[in-house]
Amino acid sequence: MKNKAFHYTELALYYIVIFFILQEWLIPIMDLTKTGHMELILGFIAVCLFISLFNLHFIISWLVKLVFIAWFITSVYSDVPPFSSSGLQFVLFEMQYNLITIFSGRWLEITDPFRTFLFFILVWMLIYLIHYWITVRKTIFYFLVLTIFFIATIDTFTEYDGTYAMVKVVLLGLLVTVFLYVKRLILQTGITVNGQKYFTLVMPAIILIGLVSIMGILLPKSEPQWPDPVPYIKAATGQGDGLDGNGVSKVGYGTNDSRLGGAFVADDTVVFHAISETKQYWRIETKDFYTSKGWEESNTNPTESVYFDLNEQINYSLPTGLEEDTKTATIKQINPHDFIVQPYGLKRVEFEPYLEEQHEQVGLLMNANTEKIYPYADNRIVKLMDYSVVYSKPTLLYSQLQSDPAEEIDQEVFEPYLQLPDTLPDRVGDLANEIVRGAKTPYQKARAIESYFSRNGFRYETDNVAIPGEDVDYVDQFLFETKVGYCDNFSTSMVVMLRSVGIPARWVKGFMGGELIDSTGASKTYEITNNNAHSWVEAYIPEVGWVNFEPTIGFSNMRNIEYDIETSSPEEELNPEEEETRTFEELQQENEQQPATKNNTTNFFANIIEMINKNHVLFVIINLSILLAGIILLTTRKKWLPKLYVLRNRNKSLNESSFESMYSQLLKVLEFRGLKRKDDQTLQSFAKEIDHTLGTSDMSKITYAYERYVYGNYDGNIDFGKLKESWEYLINRSTS
Amino acid sequence: MHQKFEAIISNIEKVMIGKREVAQLSAIAMMAGGHVLLEDVPGVGKTMMVKALAKSVGAEFKRIQFTPDLLPSDVIGVSIYNPKTLQFEFRPGPILGNIILADEINRTSPKTQSALLESMEEATISIDGQTIQIPKPFFVMATQNPIEYEGTYPLPEAQLDRFMLKIRMGYPSPQEEVEVLRRAENNEPIITLDSVISLDELLELQQEVKSVYVEDSIKAYIVQIARATRKVSEVYLGVSPRASIALMKASQAYAKIQNRDYVIPDDVQYLAPFVFAHRIILRPEARYEGITQEVIINRIINKAVVPIKRYAEK
Repeated sequence: MKNKAFHYTELALYYIVIFFILQEWLIPIMDLTKTGHMELILGFIAVCLFISLFNLHFIISWLVKLVFIAWFITSVYSDVPPFSSSGLQFVLFEMQYNLITIFSGRWLEITDPFRTFLFFILVWMLIYLIHYWITVRKTIFYFLVLTIFFIATIDTFTEYDGTYAMVKVVLLGLLVTVFLYVKRLILQTGITVNGQKYFTLVMPAIILIGLVSIMGILLPKSEPQWPDPVPYIKAATGQGDGLDGNGVSKVGYGTNDSRLGGAFVADDTVVFHAISETKQYWRIETKDFYTSKGWEESNTNPTESVYFDLNEQINYSLPTGLEEDTKTATIKQINPHDFIVQPYGLKRVEFEPYLEEQHEQVGLLMNANTEKIYPYADNRIVKLMDYSVVYSKPTLLYSQLQSDPAEEIDQEVFEPYLQLPDTLPDRVGDLANEIVRGAKTPYQKARAIESYFSRNGFRYETDNVAIPGEDVDYVDQFLFETKVGYCDNFSTSMVVMLRSVGIPARWVKGFMGGELIDSTGASKTYEITNNNAHSWVEAYIPEVGWVNFEPTIGFSNMRNIEYDIETSSPEEELNPEEEETRTFEELQQENEQQPATKNNTTNFFANIIEMINKNHVLFVIINLSILLAGIILLTTRKKWLPKLYVLRNRNKSLNESSFESMYSQLLKVLEFRGLKRKDDQTLQSFAKEIDHTLGTSDMSKITYAYERYVYGNYDGNIDFGKLKESWEYLINRSTS
Repeated sequence: MHQKFEAIISNIEKVMIGKREVAQLSAIAMMAGGHVLLEDVPGVGKTMMVKALAKSVGAEFKRIQFTPDLLPSDVIGVSIYNPKTLQFEFRPGPILGNIILADEINRTSPKTQSALLESMEEATISIDGQTIQIPKPFFVMATQNPIEYEGTYPLPEAQLDRFMLKIRMGYPSPQEEVEVLRRAENNEPIITLDSVISLDELLELQQEVKSVYVEDSIKAYIVQIARATRKVSEVYLGVSPRASIALMKASQAYAKIQNRDYVIPDDVQYLAPFVFAHRIILRPEARYEGITQEVIINRIINKAVVPIKRYAEK
């Protein structure tokens, strides 16, 4: 089979271009799968192209290709010389082994040499396909589109940088497309083309491609307008672990806080149900080492573990209330966890009785540093479903809180809680000192810092939260640049500022009170979801101990303070017991409404743009769905439009006034069916065609009447009643 | 099909084999009050065609054989001095008949040609300051050999315009030609041909054709085609408004033949090549490339937009 359409040199040129495009396929594959020997695989491609160029006899072709593959496999995967009996043996053994493996369905046991063999076969088939595309179809457009998609996808989802590969592929691909198109044109029209004429045919396109490419390269390029979609996809599909602090994470409790920042998406997965009398914060652990990007466990103190027996008083840094005020909260977890959620004033933890029966030794293990408490049984940490916590909330005496410390705090003991990174910009400390100016006692200072955020234009938001760059401090960025963030931003900033003014402070993680879902008598059931994951601050107030603070806007602390002295400070809430019940969603909704109400007098359009920016994902989804719906309606109009016509006209009688429109509808419906009347075709000849196709005579009947109506001197004697029948019949025929 | 037309055409078919379309077109021209130019090589039955048509309608048939030395007076007639009455007396020429066969019209001098053509258009003749009305119906069928033949005077463009239709006879198919020979063995069947309609009926039909309704959208369609001929690059001169009128009238007759009292675009499409082709003058370059007038007209029809709604003033 000789290809008369192509001269060898011409085809060779196409193949050279194809070779370069295939190389761009191969590079990322090799790169990402850490495969070597690219030049040999390229060699194989070249051999394949060469063989198909000269249309060698298939026996030669197969022989050459198989020998090449066998040689590649033996020389790469074995130590034996390729062209020897042992080499042949190696190849045959591999084939035999893998064929058996495949037939027995043990896909994972296929060996690398066989995988390589399959890859070569794939390349072989691809080359054959390209050969077919060029010589028979004379277009490689699909291949080109496929290549571009491939590179774009690889570029988006992996670290492979496909910028130049993309430019190269598009350029080469367009050139080949142009030449092949001209070729097709010449073959179709059958004209003979000399050099000059060919030149004039091809040149404009080449100049255009050149100009476009130069323009494309020279034009300034804007930064990506949309956030990187990959984290979204990962988060949405649950692949994101939310631990790398990079991009968008899912909200929830995690253990790694070394890189804070970035947006997160809501997650209303229920973590546990708490049956207790009041709504309260659930503490899990604290962290004390600030790295300027996030929190880590202090590495100055060796991690000590403290063991508590069941029902033994838990002894840790937090104050507890009186024994007679103890209350019990039952925790029912949805999935077993290895941590105990602690209410403030925790005294004891009680397990289900069956645990004690099952295990010899049941107790609790507490990390003395982070104060995270693990259930412990049979000398190992276990995961629990249900347990109860016994607690007595300490009542803080206002007089003690407000009192001046009698002695300086012990710098050595509290060293981990005063730690600050060396890289912390001075302006953070300056700001902290500015805030606490005028406050005398540590408690007043802490209060000043706690309430600073709500008065200075900070905003609670979960989208568009910055991740500090390489040389940027997380707190500094939040305090001075973005002023937008969620609990981690507020709490971390407060801890850092407290430490800057010499108050020991630590960062606490846990859950907020959750949502009340059931209430029977004194015991109420709260549902705590991942959305309730929270972080706050504990500061050491001399003579009182560790006191929790809540700097995050929209949340208020749950300290239990007894106002034993008169307060003159207007800053103090008179009813500190009041609990904030706002959840993550409520806050988010509030944030969405905020700009609209705040700025409605300024600029309507600015508001809209801001709203779109805020909810761009939603807007994109809405627009895409509208577009999609439009496309679907447009492409399926052949199905629904005729039905609509019938529906609309079913009860309408065919008469003088409706005849013209109904006939037009009939023409349109027939057009959808692929029976289109050409503009120069008369109705009569069209009607004959239709009747011939559909095997009826109704179209001629209607058309005859229509002609009489449109071209004739209409005198009102057309029997429309009979025509209606034909009309419906034709519409139904063409829709079925 | 209209009964009377059918009668005429089948009557013609008795003597003309396989020339139904030519007969029909001739009948159309006659009913629309136009004239026909039959163009083809000698011997394909042009004269026979006209004779048969004339006989079928019972009309007076006259034949003028055009020769290079024929004078206008040989066509129109001449005034002769009568010594008895001492007055000039008009001797009418062959033009004063109902159906005239102007045979080989392109073989006579332009002077004589124009004498014929003028009387064709006006349906009157002028002689010695007198105007004489030619009796109705008046129908001229001229024949001409294609101009490539020697010893001919091609008709001027203005005069071609006066023929409503130009029809080519064409050779019969092999079977038809055998049939022609078979009939030629016997007597000339033309002698036995009877008339199928009377002259009065013919005049009545002509009136009926005039009353066939032409919707404005159809008129616009005709104009669309006519105007298009004036814009084609290969055409030196497009068709005149007279041509548009001719197309409309012919379409009316065609509609009548099909027993319809209104014109539809199909009528126009069918007749346009016969009415328009001989009225456009191609550029020499186009002629050299082998493009014919029919090709141009067909191309135009394939581009013209058929009206499918009532006419709306734009």
